[in-house]
Amino acid sequence: MQKKMRLVALLFVSLAVLLSACKLTTKNDVNEASPTPAGTEAAVDNNPVDIELLGMSSNEADLNIVRDQLNKNGFNVKLNIQPDYGSFKTQEDAGNFDISMSGWTTVTGNPDYAVRSLFKTGGDYSKLSDPEIDELIEKASTQTPDQYKETYKTFEEKLVFEKAYIAPLYRSLKSQAFNQEVLNKDSVRLSKSRSLPWEALDFNDTSKRETEALVLQSTMPTLTSLDPIKGNDGSINIINTNSNVRVVNLTDDDKVTSEGSLSLNHAIAEGNSEYYFILRDDINFARVENKAAVDSGERVGADDVIFSLLRAKDKNSVPDHRTYTLHEHIQNVELVTDLASLEALNVSGSSETVKAALENGLPSKISELVSDKKQASNKDGKYQVVKLTTTKPFPQVLNYLAHQSAGIVSQKQVQAINTYDVAKFDVNKDIPYGDQNTVTEGAQYNNTLYASGPYILAYKNDYEAVFFKNPGYMKGTENEPKIKSIKVRFIKDADSTLAALRSGEIHLYYGVSENKFDVVKGDSKLSLQTVPSNAVSYLLFNTSNRPVAKSVDLRKAVLYAINQDEILAFYGGNKFKAVSTLSPLVDTGLELKADAGKVKEFLNAYKASK
Amino acid sequence: MKNVSLTKQEMNFRLKSNPEYGQASFAGLISLALAVLLLWNAYSPADGSFKAVGLGAGIAFGLFGLLQLAVWYLIRTNLIRHAAIGKATRGLGFLLLPSLFTGNVFVASTAFHLVKKKKYAAYTLAVYSFMTTVLVFGVTALNLFKPYVANGFLSGMTLLLIAGFIQLIALLLIAKYGGEAVIPRWMAIVAIALLATAATGNLFSLFLSLMLFAKLRNRGFTSGSRFGDVFERLSRSSTSMLGLLFVTFLLTLSITSLITFDYGLAIDNNYSAILQSPTAEYPLGTDNYGRDLFSRIVFGARISLIVGFLTTLIPLLIGGLLGALSGYYGKRTDNLIMRALDVLYAVPAILLAIAIIAAFGAGTVNLIIALSVSSIPTYARTMRANVLQVSTLEYVQAARAFGSNDWIILFKHILPNSVAPMIVQSTLTIGSAVISTSSLSFLGLGVEPHIPEWGNILKLGSAYLETHSFTAIYPGLAIILLVLSFNFLGDGLRDALDPKLD
Repeated sequence: MQKKMRLVALLFVSLAVLLSACKLTTKNDVNEASPTPAGTEAAVDNNPVDIELLGMSSNEADLNIVRDQLNKNGFNVKLNIQPDYGSFKTQEDAGNFDISMSGWTTVTGNPDYAVRSLFKTGGDYSKLSDPEIDELIEKASTQTPDQYKETYKTFEEKLVFEKAYIAPLYRSLKSQAFNQEVLNKDSVRLSKSRSLPWEALDFNDTSKRETEALVLQSTMPTLTSLDPIKGNDGSINIINTNSNVRVVNLTDDDKVTSEGSLSLNHAIAEGNSEYYFILRDDINFARVENKAAVDSGERVGADDVIFSLLRAKDKNSVPDHRTYTLHEHIQNVELVTDLASLEALNVSGSSETVKAALENGLPSKISELVSDKKQASNKDGKYQVVKLTTTKPFPQVLNYLAHQSAGIVSQKQVQAINTYDVAKFDVNKDIPYGDQNTVTEGAQYNNTLYASGPYILAYKNDYEAVFFKNPGYMKGTENEPKIKSIKVRFIKDADSTLAALRSGEIHLYYGVSENKFDVVKGDSKLSLQTVPSNAVSYLLFNTSNRPVAKSVDLRKAVLYAINQDEILAFYGGNKFKAVSTLSPLVDTGLELKADAGKVKEFLNAYKASK
Repeated sequence: MKNVSLTKQEMNFRLKSNPEYGQASFAGLISLALAVLLLWNAYSPADGSFKAVGLGAGIAFGLFGLLQLAVWYLIRTNLIRHAAIGKATRGLGFLLLPSLFTGNVFVASTAFHLVKKKKYAAYTLAVYSFMTTVLVFGVTALNLFKPYVANGFLSGMTLLLIAGFIQLIALLLIAKYGGEAVIPRWMAIVAIALLATAATGNLFSLFLSLMLFAKLRNRGFTSGSRFGDVFERLSRSSTSMLGLLFVTFLLTLSITSLITFDYGLAIDNNYSAILQSPTAEYPLGTDNYGRDLFSRIVFGARISLIVGFLTTLIPLLIGGLLGALSGYYGKRTDNLIMRALDVLYAVPAILLAIAIIAAFGAGTVNLIIALSVSSIPTYARTMRANVLQVSTLEYVQAARAFGSNDWIILFKHILPNSVAPMIVQSTLTIGSAVISTSSLSFLGLGVEPHIPEWGNILKLGSAYLETHSFTAIYPGLAIILLVLSFNFLGDGLRDALDPKLD
């Protein structure tokens, strides 16, 4: 026993000696080894600065990365994670945050939209009020692409690097996955800005068009409003785009086109302030009867266009108007009946007359301009032409007209429903056109929608929304909707959505997250489409009641703590660098580089100023 | 064969009544199963090669498993021929002992049993306390492969070494003297040293040291304490001891990780090491933020254990007290308390927890409260039933006849004799508490997402189940093992505490 004990003791002692002899790198060694950034001699104190980060649980990954990066740079991050957009917005409106995780998608594809409602004083989503910023936004809006590049560069320098109103994170890919065994691969479009055109979608087996429903997905069962001007968010953008036709559309790469729109052609007259649209005569409004779509017999015409665009620009046309800033450049919209006036005018930057431009490619030339939409007959040369004037030369207005908020509604129907006085609108009593309760199954169901687009929403519940094709939409053309019925299923959770797609419960999943790309690619019956989008994620600073509102130093410290390279690494290269919401649209050549030294510097300046 | 006359029943009885026989087959088979699993895991079908670490571990498990089965065969023939295990066979146990250093606790614990012919609780406890320290030391040593280690790593490892050394000495001394009714007085030093090593969280050391102190005080005057009896019986059940081993292992790891593990590796993102497969540097791989899963699971054990223990302890105390009062006083008190608790019982536990968290916000404290409240009624019911039964016993009547005050009767005479089922119940519910904690975190209602908690880790991993399955498998395994351990322990405790089995 004694001998054994001695042996054991010897073994242990030698092991201990061995262990202590080997050189181990401890955490302190590592920290000491890393060089301290210059300019930190005047260390005020090393206590971390408290900062509250607000976000939604769907952005958990971004929140975690930002938290990590801020923590590593001398902040103490308090996370405020809200389960859905509603609670998030409530927190944001209440000012319960220092920085909030925000995102923006420029759905119109023009740079003005990427800044106007976000950063201009009084903008729909703006929490900023800075005259210099306003001035730059206005200046750039009147400029041509070559000119505005410089202006937007100055704008970004001011917004991001000088004032640090936002801290950019990344620019995203737009992605969608669909079941290629069910859907015809060539019929599924993925555009940079515009929403998926439903009328193009088709089954592989065309005999199923009438019998089977195509099933799409959305996360939000509560639709903001089906009146296109009263909402501009993820719950309705795709729905309203397909429910209401517009006078122009965007191509997949954000060029303005008349294809698939209410206009046959459009032209910009010299001076860039007058815009002409020649309307087609083969779209009727659809309405819902007994939960099925029927042709209302009412044609979509110039009066509806004029009515729709004028109410879009008028802040007081409806209560809770969410999109008037997009259309504030519209001065007037009117009917053109004098054919001679079109001949007298040239197209901007060309010697072609407006009439020629509008007639371009049409089977029958313009013989007469009619004021009554019922009399329009394109094959007989009887057309309706609408003229839009802007408050100043502003070619980007066309992009706004391609936005869902410029969707054409029925003048007759909207006026019949919206009988309330806007100034005295009572939420509890008055039911506005497009109120989501009127299309939700239940006691309040009373679908009064008139849809000018390819599909009309028949009814919805918390499980799904059911759409039917508009029987009077461009019949006999390639734009006639193929599939009779489309269902949008409400599935909140991304993983469940992907599971639903893979099991065949839904056919198309728009917005697949980057970390699921591998899974989609690995499934032979699925097809994945991606395209760099106009979506930018950024951190928005509180501008009212927190230290970050007053201290530029603190904001800049946060700004320089953000390391976009790390974010890109996290997403496996499926995100791109961004400087502001303009980044997808204008290449200003600026780049945000993380700088731990600057963070220290600004933090010390902030602490000193306290 | 000599014993041709041996009937099948006799043979069966000989084999079944021998604990070593059953243990040997269990350890051998499970080692081989694990060996297959390890080898399969280490095999990469792409290039037909094996990962070195997995291959080594698989071979080690396989070899010891085969050796164990050989020993099992020897035991079998020994038992059939001589009705006892031969000295040579027991000697083979020493060959199996090194399996401890490969992490094979099954073979090691069996070997420790095999080499000792006369077994007693103190010996088993000493074995397990030493095994725990060796395992913790081994697991902690994996940190050596990291680019850097925690600042307290070296001192922590030295302390673990010292603790292991003390426990080994204690094991050898107890193997020599521990079986006797009266142990030498100088064993007090061993007991004190063991108590010191219990500071690492080693429950076996703690119980062993208490047992030694009891023996020293007792000096052979009585037949032993109830505590000693319970352990004597518990130590005979190898599944519950393995359960307790895993719980103690996690507890020790949680406590020692305070100085031997670096928290930064568990919560700081490392964008250059995203979703790495298991390697020496990252033994369980990394998650989608490049955080070391191994460190995260080790730190996650702390939260799971704390929340698990507290959510069992709080209702145990509150429910126990309420149950005791209503059982003792009966009538209106009983009705009042129990009906109120019935109302609470009618609300589904997980819904109640979700409601509480939704109302007061997510966080560890709220999580503990939420999970505690809902299990108060079950404890109260158990306690009430026990108290009702015990308060009719003669010694309680006697105490009443003496005119003792109610509180003294309740706390001195009734409660100590009614806690046994409560202990069993708590070990069984602690497992479900761990699951509830993880479920709530998984649903995003527990602790903040970046904090390493098993449910959180599993949630992140579940998104990569198809592409990087290890991110979900390891935290899932940890949860399963902990819950299973508590259940095994609970089962064993129930048997050990059951007076009918005396």
